[in-house]
Amino acid sequence: MKTISSVTLSRMSRGLGVLALVLAIGAPAGAAAPYYEGKTIEVIIPFPVAGGTDVWIRTIAPYLEKNIPGNPKFTFRNIGGGRGIPGMMEFALKAKADGYMAVVSSATNYFPVLLGDKAAKYDFRQWKPALVNPVGGVIYASPATGVKRVEDLAKAKNLIYGGISAIGLDMIPLISFELLELDAKGVLGFKGRGEARIAFERGETNIDYQTTPAYNATVVPLIKEGKAIPLMSFGQLDDNGNIVRDPAVPDLPTVPEVYEKLKGKKPSGRFWETYKVFMPSAFAVQKILWFKGGTPAEALRAFYEAADRLARDKEFQAKTEKVLGGYPLLRGDRLEKTIQQAFQIDPETQRFVRDWASKKYRVKFD
Amino acid sequence: MWEAALTALEKFSNPVHLGLLAAGVVSGTVIGILPGLGGIACVAILLPFIYTMDVHSAMVLLVGSLAVVHTSDTITSVLIGTPGSAAAAATVLDGHPLARQGEAARALSAAFLSSLIGGLIGAVFLTLSLPIARPLVLLFGSPELLMLCVLGLSFAGFLTGAEPLKGALAACLGLLLGSVGAAPAEAVYRYTFDQLYLMDGIPLVAVALGVFGVAEVIDLLTKGGQIAERIPLGRGWLQGARDVLEHWGIVVRGALIGVWAGILPGIGATAGSWMSYGHVVAMARDRERFGKGDIRGVIGPESANNSVEAGDFIPTLLFSVPGGAPAAIMLGALFFYGIQPGPRMVQEHLDLIFTIIWSFALANTMGAGLCLFLSPALARLTWIPFRRLAPAVVVTIFFGAFQSSEHFGDIFALLSLGFLGWLMKQLGWPRAPFLVGFVLTKPTEQYLWLSISRYDMDWLWRPGVIALGVLLLLSLAWIARSKGGGEASGEDSSEGVVVLGKVPSILFTSSVLLLFAAALYEARSFPDLGAIFPIAATAPAVLMAAAQLVLEFRATRPPAEPEIRRRTRLAVVYFATLLLFFGAIWLFGFGVATALFTFLFLRFAAGMQWTYGLLYTAAVVGVAELMTWLLNLYWPKGVLLGG
Repeated sequence: MKTISSVTLSRMSRGLGVLALVLAIGAPAGAAAPYYEGKTIEVIIPFPVAGGTDVWIRTIAPYLEKNIPGNPKFTFRNIGGGRGIPGMMEFALKAKADGYMAVVSSATNYFPVLLGDKAAKYDFRQWKPALVNPVGGVIYASPATGVKRVEDLAKAKNLIYGGISAIGLDMIPLISFELLELDAKGVLGFKGRGEARIAFERGETNIDYQTTPAYNATVVPLIKEGKAIPLMSFGQLDDNGNIVRDPAVPDLPTVPEVYEKLKGKKPSGRFWETYKVFMPSAFAVQKILWFKGGTPAEALRAFYEAADRLARDKEFQAKTEKVLGGYPLLRGDRLEKTIQQAFQIDPETQRFVRDWASKKYRVKFD
Repeated sequence: MWEAALTALEKFSNPVHLGLLAAGVVSGTVIGILPGLGGIACVAILLPFIYTMDVHSAMVLLVGSLAVVHTSDTITSVLIGTPGSAAAAATVLDGHPLARQGEAARALSAAFLSSLIGGLIGAVFLTLSLPIARPLVLLFGSPELLMLCVLGLSFAGFLTGAEPLKGALAACLGLLLGSVGAAPAEAVYRYTFDQLYLMDGIPLVAVALGVFGVAEVIDLLTKGGQIAERIPLGRGWLQGARDVLEHWGIVVRGALIGVWAGILPGIGATAGSWMSYGHVVAMARDRERFGKGDIRGVIGPESANNSVEAGDFIPTLLFSVPGGAPAAIMLGALFFYGIQPGPRMVQEHLDLIFTIIWSFALANTMGAGLCLFLSPALARLTWIPFRRLAPAVVVTIFFGAFQSSEHFGDIFALLSLGFLGWLMKQLGWPRAPFLVGFVLTKPTEQYLWLSISRYDMDWLWRPGVIALGVLLLLSLAWIARSKGGGEASGEDSSEGVVVLGKVPSILFTSSVLLLFAAALYEARSFPDLGAIFPIAATAPAVLMAAAQLVLEFRATRPPAEPEIRRRTRLAVVYFATLLLFFGAIWLFGFGVATALFTFLFLRFAAGMQWTYGLLYTAAVVGVAELMTWLLNLYWPKGVLLGG
């Protein structure tokens, strides 16, 4: 993690310079007060109360209140349902570029955009990410498949994966299976990853994935009992946008590494292109707090610096470890390029994914 | 294990702990009384407060409120036929007729006592099952879960009343309504007509409040006068307690059905209480009184709906899989404290598990006591001319429906289904199978889908499926052998009397036939798995509706009496009033519209003096605004008075 770097210092001094200029022009006295002094920030949560995204923002908000100059108060508004679209639309239509209204998003909000769903009429390219939190995913299998090590996957027959929907997060494991050319089929219709895991435990499915926090809490005990074999992680992104090993499970190879192991060459082709587009938005930048583009730099900077301070805050780390999944809370500006790249999907890949989902999993696109 | 239990119990000697529990119980009780607000609203209101507490205190507060919602939601079900939460809809069937016969006290005390005992049985079962819960949950694969859902659906057959054909049609209507929205696995959106609102399906609260709430309110308004004759309340309380003791077998079975429904993912409190009601009717030797005020019809669902919450904790704590919506929120709260429930929960956080169990048991006791204490005052509400109660009830129903997804569609659904429910009531179509069908559609379809896509057709030969299949056939044979229910008759029946004449019956059945035919036609365009369910619901329904239509034409019904015709006209006027209220909300926003509606209704429909009217209006608006603030609800701004 970076300490207050020279960049920040120079920024701060520039900020001070601007401030001095403003004062000189004759701004009202007290303009030196922090941007968020006595203000309230309304956060729209496009999901129901107590879902993953809701808990995420509510957990970190008290720490943000402490670490943003002027100690603004956060209020929350849940607009659940409709695959998160109504909540996103509310922000798109109502928020001003003043830093007093934000929205939190999760992979559920990115997929409709990437898949070209007409109902998702919001455009991330016009927004600014203030905070980002990655999450990871781990694929594991049942010993009943005969898989003992990841190399055995190529020979494994009749792998059955339990998922929720082919155009949600489950797409990442399903695409991974396609990429690795496994004999795997998805059984879709479970209500959540937890239910799918129960199905794995009772032997109804034999290959599964869980996000890293859930994996640590619920799958690691199964591994100890010999009821599950850890195989691979989806990976994370480094600062240049390359897929690297997941720091939360550093011993496990990533999907592209497994491809090299099995095939002896670097991954390529349509499924690999798809993986590269969808994996980051599903995991590497899964939770984002957004403001409207054009929000004053001072407001955004308050958030970036709060993220830097929290990265060094031991109490925050300990208290939020489970919610953040063992990953740092990242500043939005460092990942902005990666995030915007993640939403650039070329039309061919989009068409390819839609075809794949409708042929293999009978998804009906409008 | 027992040490941990005692350590957790000791915590309750701390006044702070007890105070939090009491606060939870009071808030849960109040929310349960308000129609349409259930466990989810409870937790949503309390959530902001728990973010500053330690995990044990937070759980005491949350569990304390969740445990009693299903105790107090009975009150409005019995008194005004409007379920206090969706899970209390089953209690309306027999509880409300009892209240009309002046036996509100008996129904309430029986309900509270069976809620209490059911809750305690649930807590005991939860404790005992901790060591064996995991294998128990893993015993059931998707095919077995599917068979359990179908078994639950078959209970609807016992609820069809005197005319089984109408009952079966009502159940199919419920199934059809339940399949609106995203199919499981999201492969296709059905019957959504490109409305974003319909994509998530119609919320249960709007359905339960519409079919049993709005319909009942209109009915009570048209009948005029008060709900029940003034009779001394004294005798009823003891009688209710005696009833529970006499039917202790129902209480135990109901509680176990509830725990079971809680453990199984996706079944929930509403389905659990209906299954329990169904089993009571199925096992009864004499069925004449069901739907007309049989106390067993109160004891059955009430003993089940509290224990469901206890059962919900099992998958929540041991698998990190929420058993129902309130449990999902609890799970979120636990994540907030950095606790991820799972297989290690019993080793690592046994003290917390026992805090939850004790909170549940103690809150159940407190809640039942509190409700008993409040009841005499509440039971007197049945003596007040209903027109004076109506505005407050209507506002609460609108409020409760709106909070389920904070969309005007909720209120639209509420009023449409209210109209449908009222029609069904007037034409002798039983509403119970309709709701059972609606509630069980989603889990049934989900498990059907999973079974087929996992096992193709081999799932039919699994031993568990065969055993449950035999049970299903036996229960169907049982239904066929014994007639569904007695001949319904009399004013007080909640189901099954045709009061409108022949022509309305024919018109209604024709509309239903057309609806099914259109839905069937539409279903052809769904991809294969997505079509199974709508076709299964509509194809037989088309034939049945045609048969029913033939019966309607043949039936010799006396034309409606002038009194009935007058009431029907009144009902239309009242529906128009509700629509106007809806329109006013849209134009002026919720606060102003509520004030206008309440005051004008009191002035013109109830003939109240304007001074009292103003006071009453101020109280209703004040409470509504307070709840809006507590629940953090956003009513859309009025079109005219926006800003």
